[in-house]
Amino acid sequence: MSIGAPPLKIKSGSTLHWVLRAAVAAMLVLLVWQMVSGAQPSSLGKYTEAMALAIAALSLNLLFGFNGQISIGHSTFAGISAFFLGYSVRFWENRPFVSLIEACVLCFVIGMVIGLPALRLKGPYLALVTLAIAYVWPTVAAQFIERKVTSVTGESALTKFRVNPPTWTGLKTSREDRALYLFWVALGLMAICYVVVRNVRKSRAGRSLVAVRDNETAAAVMGVNLSRTKTITFGISAAMAGVSGWLIAAKIGTVDENSFTILNSIKYILALILGGVATLTGPILGAFAYFFADDYLKQHAPNWEWLPGKFGDGPIASFLLGVLVIAFVFVAPQGLVGLFRKIGRKIAMVVPEPIRSGATPPAQEVTPEPTAEAIQEAIDEGE
Amino acid sequence: MRFAAPTWGHDAVQDLLQYILDGLSIGSIYALVALGLVVVYRGTGQINFAQGEMALFSTLVTWWLHDQGMPLLLAIAISAALAFVGGAAIEVGLMRPAERRSAFAPVVIAIGLFQGLNSLSGLLFPRSGQGLPFPSLFPNDPDDFVSILGANIRIERIGVFVVVLAMTALLFALFQKTKIGLAMRTVANNPASAKLVGVPTNKILMFSWALAAVIGAIGGSLKAGIDTNVSIGSMFSVFLLSAAAATLGGLDSPGGAVIGGLSLGVIESLVGNYPEDWVGSDWIGIETKTAVAFLIILVVLLVRPAGLFGSVKVERV
Repeated sequence: MSIGAPPLKIKSGSTLHWVLRAAVAAMLVLLVWQMVSGAQPSSLGKYTEAMALAIAALSLNLLFGFNGQISIGHSTFAGISAFFLGYSVRFWENRPFVSLIEACVLCFVIGMVIGLPALRLKGPYLALVTLAIAYVWPTVAAQFIERKVTSVTGESALTKFRVNPPTWTGLKTSREDRALYLFWVALGLMAICYVVVRNVRKSRAGRSLVAVRDNETAAAVMGVNLSRTKTITFGISAAMAGVSGWLIAAKIGTVDENSFTILNSIKYILALILGGVATLTGPILGAFAYFFADDYLKQHAPNWEWLPGKFGDGPIASFLLGVLVIAFVFVAPQGLVGLFRKIGRKIAMVVPEPIRSGATPPAQEVTPEPTAEAIQEAIDEGE
Repeated sequence: MRFAAPTWGHDAVQDLLQYILDGLSIGSIYALVALGLVVVYRGTGQINFAQGEMALFSTLVTWWLHDQGMPLLLAIAISAALAFVGGAAIEVGLMRPAERRSAFAPVVIAIGLFQGLNSLSGLLFPRSGQGLPFPSLFPNDPDDFVSILGANIRIERIGVFVVVLAMTALLFALFQKTKIGLAMRTVANNPASAKLVGVPTNKILMFSWALAAVIGAIGGSLKAGIDTNVSIGSMFSVFLLSAAAATLGGLDSPGGAVIGGLSLGVIESLVGNYPEDWVGSDWIGIETKTAVAFLIILVVLLVRPAGLFGSVKVERV
């Protein structure tokens, strides 16, 4: 495979493999512990927002990465869910988690409906229709606020809905405790979304998703129900985008018509592509990388005084982010996951265990070159 | 721009005529920018997300040159020439090397350009955040209008419409009558075969991007003239509507882009001017007319998934 020393080969399911998996799990636990211990509410809030972005990227990955349907309208689902949280908690005195479930169901249904045109439209045409939805949303949201909120409270945004920690957690309603609580909620929701995407991908349903992505006609011939697969995927993806919006609204505590625009959708797409399309962990890695690159630049943007523009945050940070994104494509064209795989493959390689069945001759065991697909599967397992 | 309340009296026909002509004028700009998108799409199969911001940057360059005391026409010409070089440089320096690396790279580059160019505009032209006053190429005093069948049509609108129509005609002549146009059509039809028969595919792609940038520069300057100002947010909606126009017409069809752009302009103008009569509420705002335009596009696309004039690709299994 690579020139030079052959990489260390680890058999899938061997003791070493399990040790490695345990090490990765331990590192993740350490990482979370590091995030939580002694953290300020502001930095906890940042992690929460990054995780919300990760959830949106995960949902887009399910739709685009695995099913091949592009959507620039996912900010709308996030917006619907955020508004639902704000409105139902404020005016119906709904409990936040009840509103989360209701919002997910709502987004699922709306997503299925919006997925209907997707049955006929492909590529850029579908992108345009979803873009139109993202474009229309702020107008609808503004009307909603004007009619349902401003006319009642006189405010121009949905505010004063708080997601407070329940009493059994022992946390109070102070700012610190709420930030900590939301961090754990975000982590839990992100884990659930990850597991959902992972399990869908590994199941029969996931294989039919990918089959539809790769060749619709061939998939239909093999017995995949195209319209059902595509609309349900759109629905699940929309519901997950709703989770992301719910989380952002819960964290920020105020939403208005400009909270979820096309620019948010573009952010989701960027996070997904930077992390690695059609990989399981890519959306999460990409979301964290993008969020914290953006955050770092906003805080540490250089003060180029020879430029006539405003100094400090604002344009310079935004400009550098654009440059960074472009540069990144050249460093890691397959996203962060692709980059890590490339590096990892030079050190060690997880090779799949030969199929244990009498029909397979033992000669298969020394297959020198496992297929790329097998390696990917194995690495996915490892993650 | 309402001159009289839309009542269905004797002047209703005049109003209608006026709204349609106004719409055609704005729509012609959408058509032009949509042509820029189509040119790139035919060559690369990508929607250039940065088209609007490329236009914005060129328009700001025009503004700066004019601000330095240059006549507007010359300023537009120079900024178009710079755009030609810039567009070619983007293709050669960014798009081409990125394309080889991954299928998604061009999308990311375009989004990166979108963000980078937008903020670069803010950096180099600090006051563009609030909007810079932009002169019109044509007389645009309040009384500069002509009456056609009783409708008051501003000379500026007519001027823009005529200029854009002339440019569109030139572009079509380029596509249909010149050797480079033939090569462009070959590349659009089948890039691999084009290469095999000796069409310089790379040069054609470079030229396509340069052309798209020039179109953006001129379209942006005309739009800024109609709006009488340019700000860093002003080209995003132009991009959106042009993308919608191109999609409506069929992304690989230049004729479709023109028809899509013009009809979008007219729809927008009509919906924007007849709110009370049609929906009877304050529901229709400045953005909602665009929403209605998008809704119409959705319906059209449901009937014709590849746009009005787009070619339907037959997939082999």
